[in-house]
Amino acid sequence: MSISQAVEAAGDGSGSEFRRGVASCAPVLFGTIPYALVLGAQATQVGMSTVELSMMTGLNFAGGSEFAAIQLWTSPPNIVLIVAITFLVNSRHLLMGAALAPFLRDLPRRKVFPALFFMCDESWALGLADAKQRAAAGITLAFSPRYYMGAALAMYLTWVAFTTLGALLGPMLGHVETYGFDMAFPAVFLVLMRGMWTSMAAARPWLVSLVVAAMVYLFVPGAWYVAAGAVSGLVAAWLMAGHA
Amino acid sequence: MIDAATLLTILLMAGVTYLTRIGGYVVLRNRTLSARATAVMEAAPGCVLISVIAPAFVSRNPADLLALAITLVAATRLSMLPTVLIGVGAAGLLRHVIG
Repeated sequence: MSISQAVEAAGDGSGSEFRRGVASCAPVLFGTIPYALVLGAQATQVGMSTVELSMMTGLNFAGGSEFAAIQLWTSPPNIVLIVAITFLVNSRHLLMGAALAPFLRDLPRRKVFPALFFMCDESWALGLADAKQRAAAGITLAFSPRYYMGAALAMYLTWVAFTTLGALLGPMLGHVETYGFDMAFPAVFLVLMRGMWTSMAAARPWLVSLVVAAMVYLFVPGAWYVAAGAVSGLVAAWLMAGHA
Repeated sequence: MIDAATLLTILLMAGVTYLTRIGGYVVLRNRTLSARATAVMEAAPGCVLISVIAPAFVSRNPADLLALAITLVAATRLSMLPTVLIGVGAAGLLRHVIG
């Protein structure tokens, strides 16, 4: 390959990085669509208009907090309660952003701040797993912004479009759980975790998170289980690192 | 079609959510982390992921638990798409057969 061909290949690489991101997100979208439809349908049942629902999913773009908000929705809404619950459900983003930060060091802030608006569980997990794999393969700029944005924008557009469609279709939709689509989320997350697996010892904090999150989910009302499980796992990792 | 209190709620939700998204990056961007902090950061992604899906592990529906076990085995051996298809297929089928 000549130098010009190599440069051309690298140029094509940026577009293909975006497509690679979209493609890797495709299985996740499969599981997202039924949830988006249900959220939209539920929103109309508690008195939100389609415009309001689209605005919420487009500006907030964090499904867990939106489900919680819809469940707590009254007319007029209890603003303090809903905003506080939104923060709690989304507090995991703080950990996620911190985990991603080392890979974002070489990027300018004007690119990072818009990109972080699109950071959801799925785009973050895909972007981080990809960066770790590329780093392990010896690639210096391990984080691929175009790959991340491909996954993130596919997720964003799907979420906003299908929540809106759910609001328009309203109560015609039944329960998606009967069809098994909800198992797509555990499936995706478990595959991502296998990609992060290094050793049994390194995975022990995950077990702590699982047990604590499950117990809190069973015995504490609300969406506390995500924060409780995540923080417990981190405390366990902190303690175990001290013993090593 | 847009209520003022609803609009305010949505804008505040969007505001705190964006703060959570940039918070970890802004605070930790230019710090050199200790070995211990690095160990915590390396455990963090898995801890968040497993916490989000923890409710599936304590489902009261035996069909869901069996489907999750099948999905877990698939996830250790297969790539993303086959695992998702097996998981969704197993959950849908087992819920009709058992649940």
